[in-house]
Amino acid sequence: MRFSAEEHARLRRRVRLRREISGWLFLGPMFACFVLFLVVPVFGTLWWSTRFGGLIGGTKFVGLDNFTRLITLVGAPQAIRNTLVFAGISVPLILAGALGIALLLARLEKGGAVYRFLVYFPVLVPGVVAALIWLFLTNSDFGLFNETLRAFGQSPVTWLSTDNALGILIALDVWRNVGYWAMFFVAAIIGLPDELYQAAKLDGASAFARFRFLTLPLLRRIIFFAIVVSTIWAFQVFDTAIVLTRGGPAGATTTVVYRVWQYVFGSSNKVGYASAISLVMIVAILALTLVQMRVLRSRRGGD
Amino acid sequence: MIEPRSSAMPAVAPAIELVEVTKHYGKSEAVRGVDLAIAPGEFIALLGPSGCGKSTLLKLIAGLEELTDGEIYVGGKLANYLKPSARNVAMVFQNYALYPHMTVRENVGFPLKMGGVPREEVRARVEAAANLLQLTTQLDRFPDELSGGQRQRVALGRAIVREPLAFLMDEPLSNLDALLRVEMRTELLRLHKRVGRTTIYVTHDQIEAMTMADRIVLMNKGEIQQIGSPSEIYGAPANTFVAKFVGSPPMNLIEGRIEQGSDGLTFRGAAEVPAGKAFAGLSVGPATLGIRPEHIEIVDADHPDAIAAKVDLVERIGSNSNVFLIVAGQASLIANVDADTLIREGDEVHVRIQPEQVRFFDAAGNRVEGKGAAR
Amino acid sequence: MAAIAESSVVGGRQELQRLAIDHTRVRARQRRLRELGRHVALGLITFVLVAPFYYVLLASLKDSHAIFQYPPELVPWPPFWGNYANVLSHTNFLRWMFNTLFVATTVTVLKVFLDSMAGYALAKIDFTGRKAVFLLMLILLMVPGGALIVPLWSLVNSLGLINTYLALILPPLANPLGAILMRQFILGLPRDLENAARLDGLNEFQIYWRIVLPLIKPGLVVLAVILFTDQFMSFIWPLIATTSDDLIVLTVGVASLRAHGGVDYGLWSASAIMSLVPIAVLFFILQRQFLARSLAGALKQ
Repeated sequence: MRFSAEEHARLRRRVRLRREISGWLFLGPMFACFVLFLVVPVFGTLWWSTRFGGLIGGTKFVGLDNFTRLITLVGAPQAIRNTLVFAGISVPLILAGALGIALLLARLEKGGAVYRFLVYFPVLVPGVVAALIWLFLTNSDFGLFNETLRAFGQSPVTWLSTDNALGILIALDVWRNVGYWAMFFVAAIIGLPDELYQAAKLDGASAFARFRFLTLPLLRRIIFFAIVVSTIWAFQVFDTAIVLTRGGPAGATTTVVYRVWQYVFGSSNKVGYASAISLVMIVAILALTLVQMRVLRSRRGGD
Repeated sequence: MIEPRSSAMPAVAPAIELVEVTKHYGKSEAVRGVDLAIAPGEFIALLGPSGCGKSTLLKLIAGLEELTDGEIYVGGKLANYLKPSARNVAMVFQNYALYPHMTVRENVGFPLKMGGVPREEVRARVEAAANLLQLTTQLDRFPDELSGGQRQRVALGRAIVREPLAFLMDEPLSNLDALLRVEMRTELLRLHKRVGRTTIYVTHDQIEAMTMADRIVLMNKGEIQQIGSPSEIYGAPANTFVAKFVGSPPMNLIEGRIEQGSDGLTFRGAAEVPAGKAFAGLSVGPATLGIRPEHIEIVDADHPDAIAAKVDLVERIGSNSNVFLIVAGQASLIANVDADTLIREGDEVHVRIQPEQVRFFDAAGNRVEGKGAAR
Repeated sequence: MAAIAESSVVGGRQELQRLAIDHTRVRARQRRLRELGRHVALGLITFVLVAPFYYVLLASLKDSHAIFQYPPELVPWPPFWGNYANVLSHTNFLRWMFNTLFVATTVTVLKVFLDSMAGYALAKIDFTGRKAVFLLMLILLMVPGGALIVPLWSLVNSLGLINTYLALILPPLANPLGAILMRQFILGLPRDLENAARLDGLNEFQIYWRIVLPLIKPGLVVLAVILFTDQFMSFIWPLIATTSDDLIVLTVGVASLRAHGGVDYGLWSASAIMSLVPIAVLFFILQRQFLARSLAGALKQ
């Protein structure tokens, strides 16, 4: 070699430097926003969860008090319970419905575009507007539901009562979200190899058997992904709850996020509690995400 | 061991020079200590099996990959740390890499435009290149409207128009069908004769390398096996890898020993080959004998050098046939004989190995040469 | 599977043909029935999904007397436009709509560039920390906005940005989904294209601008749609970030109709329908986009 090792090292450093700078120049702006408005607040939640007070005005450090008192807090257990019930019922309903629609759509020969548009439309409706719409469905006097009941000679039901409100909230969520996952599953089903189904048909498998032993296992990874993501979304129900029932009646539709908002911006002014709940939620979601990443990486069958 | 011998080179400054070029990807060594000097105007073929490092080497020369160690000189200047566009080389890719959203004219003129060449000159040079490559009628089309051969020519045009120091070609013909490939091969050669620019041509196809190159650089597992003219590579392979890679069907290799015989040295293995001029200067010991299929003759049983063999398979390929023989029940030889030789599967025949055409390799696979050996 | 008659039977060939035709006909009929079944099922499902919209549309065209009427009019004639007039005159609806469209458009335009640049860096430039950054983004991808409102509010407040447009525009820029999506799209581009561009003398930015961006246009459209609709539907953050009347976004404004101002079903239904207009328009335009030309065969796959 005609150039010394030091000269090479120097020149190589210069090339590297240029590359690093260009890398960070491209990434920089977005990453700056990412750090400032996402990473920092995540740590911020940690900090705020150990404090007691309001957003403006002072707070004082209380250590892990907020967490220990979380369970006994007024309304907190109910909010948590509501959210869990909500997620536990809405997610299976949404995904099962989405899968059913997807199976129908995927095998449709003509005219799919219209159905897709209509099925997906509720997804694009902002939560508050969707809640408004459902007020018109659930209204005791002129709501569509009661009118239909009346047409069949049944007596009207109070849909937004303490017992039924959460169910309505769930139905609303299903109505809104089924289209989103339906499109998702349609894309996945279309991507499945045709030959497997032809082979199965030759082997005499019925439609149901083909679904159970072929489609479901092949979609396993995607279904798992869908479960995790829609569960995470279910935990964040807020806008529909606030417009539909204002969290009532009697806290029947108060969800976790609703509580957080109440603690901070509502009548209370307890930032610490809000942050503590938020932190718990973040941790739960992170755990779910990590589990999902692990599972999706290792299993190979559904590829 | 025989050093990779290169044919005599004129004493001019090399157009491109590689000194101990090395490239590692993590643990794997793609290129190991390559030394190479390319004269201006030479057509060099980088030949070798998949994964031998030839494409990596080309990319290192182009500046698309960074060297782990070593030096690359282009036009006499150290190029290691220069941007690809600053190295004054142009590349033609296997997948053509044409810009799909630009017309042929824009594609070909693009490097000039980027280099700040005035518009008028760009137009003139693009049209000149189009003329050279018979693309004048396609200038305003988009790549997806062209056939594979036409796209290849556009890629060539884009390289030619830059009038670079050297052309780097990465298996440019592999995506074309067989007939088109042969056609383009002759066209490329003709182009090289006209334009006369240094060209480094990567291929795994030995026929392309043998027909087009002034010199061939044969590589395997990141290392150079031999550098030489096509006839040198064919007739004087430096090791068994080279011997088997070049030539179709490949050179027959028989393992055995060189021993002292009744009148001079003789090779004993599945076949026995008595002393000839090829043996002069060799020492006793284990050796591998190499003989090309076209140097094995079918003879009568009473020929002095006859070796008994059984015909296993006959491949008739037009003007000659490949005869797969089994000798001494185990070793298999391939002989290439005239098509009208009467021979059938299952026949018991006798063959003769032309002693002047024999090449010997030692236990490590490198060729050993005695004095007076054939070149 | 119909049994195939042995053609050794007299007239066997004709018999075979007839059986074959019958078989095909039966098969075709089965297929048509199944297709019909699918249409029926999908029709029912779509009806259930879409009926609420129609019902609210109806209500918006009736005066408050007609709304409570039973049996309800299925096609109100003449349509009552008073509700819509009310929305425009009695509420700040137009301002709300403007705010939402302004913020959504700004965020979309800004983020398309920011995210595509970030995606380009993550996909194509080898710099230290690239893997770590990507991993961080993947992990925090799922963190919900709702959980961060406390520290985010505090942060934006200390920046003095509460109650400004910036408060609505800046925080959404942090969402890593866009960068991750762009990275995937850019990784899918053929590598030699970028190599050719480098040899042709383009610097990094030029490769991004002239080569990569035009080639990931479909991906950019997908990203833009996601960004726009996300912003359009965003509620909890605008709720707390802007309180002054002229900065209220559509979702917050519509929600406020329910919270204050008493019960006016006509008003509510009209405002709900009007809120849906931009999204419906956007969607309609996109339906046509999906007939766009795919990536040209300039490169062999």
